[in-house]
Amino acid sequence: MSRRKLFIAALLLALLSYPPQWYPMPIRLKLTEWIGAAGFRALPSSVEATAAEAEVFCPPDPVGWRDRQSIEDVEIEASASCVADNPFAVAAVVRGTNNVNQATLLKSGLTADAVEKGRDLDGDGDPDEIHIRLEVAELNGGSAVVPGPVTQYEIAPGIRPGLWVFAPKFVGMAVENFESNQARRSLRLPSPAIRVEQGDKVRITLENSHYMPHTLHLHGADHGFVNVSGEGNDGVPITSETPVMPGGARTYELSPRHAGTMFYHCHVQPHVHVMMGLQGLFVIEENRPDNWLQTMNIGAGLVRAPSRSTREDFDREYDLHYLDLDKELSERIQRHNDPRLITRSMHREYDITDSAVDYFTLNGRSFPYTFRESLLVGKDDERIKLRVVNGGAKGIALHTHGHKFSVTHRDGVELPEISQTPQDVLWLATSQRADLALELVNDGLHAYGPGIWLFHDHQYKGITNDGIGPGGNISAIVYSQYLDETGWPQTRGVPWDQYFTEAYYRKEIPVWEHYAPGLFSDTGFDWLMMLRVLGLALACGIAAAAAVGALFGRGRSRS
Amino acid sequence: MKPSTFLIACLMLLAPNPGAGQDKVDHSGHSSHQMSVDPAGVVMNENHNALPRDCSEISGDYALTINVGRKFASDVPGMIFGMSEHEIRVQPCSRIKITVVNEDRVRHQWMVHGLPKYLYPAGMFHVEASGGHSKTGTFIVPGDDRTYLIHCDMAQHMEKGMRGQLVVGKGSGKLWGVAGISDEFYRHSYLPPRALLMAVLVFIIAFLTSLWISIKW
Repeated sequence: MSRRKLFIAALLLALLSYPPQWYPMPIRLKLTEWIGAAGFRALPSSVEATAAEAEVFCPPDPVGWRDRQSIEDVEIEASASCVADNPFAVAAVVRGTNNVNQATLLKSGLTADAVEKGRDLDGDGDPDEIHIRLEVAELNGGSAVVPGPVTQYEIAPGIRPGLWVFAPKFVGMAVENFESNQARRSLRLPSPAIRVEQGDKVRITLENSHYMPHTLHLHGADHGFVNVSGEGNDGVPITSETPVMPGGARTYELSPRHAGTMFYHCHVQPHVHVMMGLQGLFVIEENRPDNWLQTMNIGAGLVRAPSRSTREDFDREYDLHYLDLDKELSERIQRHNDPRLITRSMHREYDITDSAVDYFTLNGRSFPYTFRESLLVGKDDERIKLRVVNGGAKGIALHTHGHKFSVTHRDGVELPEISQTPQDVLWLATSQRADLALELVNDGLHAYGPGIWLFHDHQYKGITNDGIGPGGNISAIVYSQYLDETGWPQTRGVPWDQYFTEAYYRKEIPVWEHYAPGLFSDTGFDWLMMLRVLGLALACGIAAAAAVGALFGRGRSRS
Repeated sequence: MKPSTFLIACLMLLAPNPGAGQDKVDHSGHSSHQMSVDPAGVVMNENHNALPRDCSEISGDYALTINVGRKFASDVPGMIFGMSEHEIRVQPCSRIKITVVNEDRVRHQWMVHGLPKYLYPAGMFHVEASGGHSKTGTFIVPGDDRTYLIHCDMAQHMEKGMRGQLVVGKGSGKLWGVAGISDEFYRHSYLPPRALLMAVLVFIIAFLTSLWISIKW
């Protein structure tokens, strides 16, 4: 065939296969004028969503950790949510891991020196010498031998960002069992909330079990720039002391004169290390007689053995630790195993000034896991104390449905009564703390009556898991009559099955599929359109080849 | 069993026990392990006398001291923690008394996996030494030739150097990623991006030269 004929044939094919909806507008209008609309062709049918089996919403509690109980004469309050803290660990940190019997210590999982409590210096019936030991643990880190992250910790279904935490000192393995590779239950985000009493002689030993240098900085808590031995005590490498190297340890000292809700964090390359999770609440309680404190609240949330001063004014107390995470940062520990490559990647290649955050956690979990363990459960007419810190890189606009709370303290300092007006959105800047009084009094101002009322960051990023909602730091104020016996709230809205699948947060399931199946599904494939596009591509290819040949190949052309 | 779990089992144990992966051990306070705890550390599932089924008697005794800590990795590029010995060779059916000397100020562990579960709950023998302390434990190995994983189960300690192998008899092949013994399974290329450009350049030169040669000849 001659080149010209080939070219013409290609042009014809192109014209035939050119999709009519792509014709230029004047031509389309003209055609409509002449012959009217094109005939009906059904739109592609809806695609059935991939079936994904939901996880168990509320894992059972066969050993009774949720119940109210007394261990070693420590009254441990009931924890109404599904997943409760280990009450033996609560008892051990209240009495001191050096003061409880061997059976309690074994059940707590802690070492005998995890939280040591010594003498009662002021003779008021509680110990005032407190020695806390913290390790540094990596969750969802990399490995040179196994695929996927090791020492796994999920913030939400299938979401395992690389994390660093200050960890209580536990006996034994970091994982539940060797085969599963799951981090043991208490090894988790956030770093534990620490509680000491005003005037206590507190020593905190940082045992750096991690592979990078770290320090401890006591943000807002009264501490000397140097300790009694004249060594740096502020945790700041550029002004105070050399960081604690891997395998090393350093003891920080403080005897805080002022009570309040404070903060602690690593101060080595803080824009990276603090944002990896090396941060926790540091609460200084007012001095009271016989005030045995829950020195660590592992995973934050409900304080199961609250202080004397809290009991004076409140029925219960919750620690709320907000933290956002940038996956561009957190995945860097999973890409490499060599600490030199990790260090380069995290501290030189990662640029926080170009970053955006992707995950939003409350007490170390994102929705829907927040509903397992970070509900604010209360009863009618109760007064609840909330200690809130925003450890994230962006501010949060904390909003409560159905309630107006009062801010009683900011950054650990009490506000004058006149400033404690009820409000329902609270702006918290990075590292800022607020103590809130939440009153479940149905007076139309403080509360609108019993129910399941959300509380969440009203900045909309914060209610997603990497852009998929519902997610992020959504949790709820739940009146106890709305909880079933397992601790799961009796919600009245849509079913939750798809929120408890990894596929949903991998963006594989249409958002309304579970209650409007087919209506807003993914659309099927249009084979005719595909055929037209392929035909057009084929025709253009042939035509182009023929045209180029005509330009350059004249001499060799043969008909 | 998830594919990743299967891979882990294969890579780590090479010759997995029948029933590996079935065992669920809760370390959060309801442990079925036999534990002895004191301020110097922990010994879990110690065994002085119980013979493995395939042993008629104890073939011999070993007394080994393993020093662990940062300093045992200080001259190994890319490692942070280490052990004085990453490979231990013993005879089948022998009894091993192991003393772990921790030269760091943080906890370290020396654990063996894949032992018979009828003698060692979860197939595990474990010595944990507190920072600056030493701890001693004893166990008896079975009669077959096998290589067992030794590691520290502090988060990331195995990944950053505390990974070894216990070779019983002739063993059953080297484990991956043991410092000084075997290579890393997921070994990084250690090539800068420029090296890739060099490769592209070489490809282009090779292509053009070959083309020129093939046309010319």
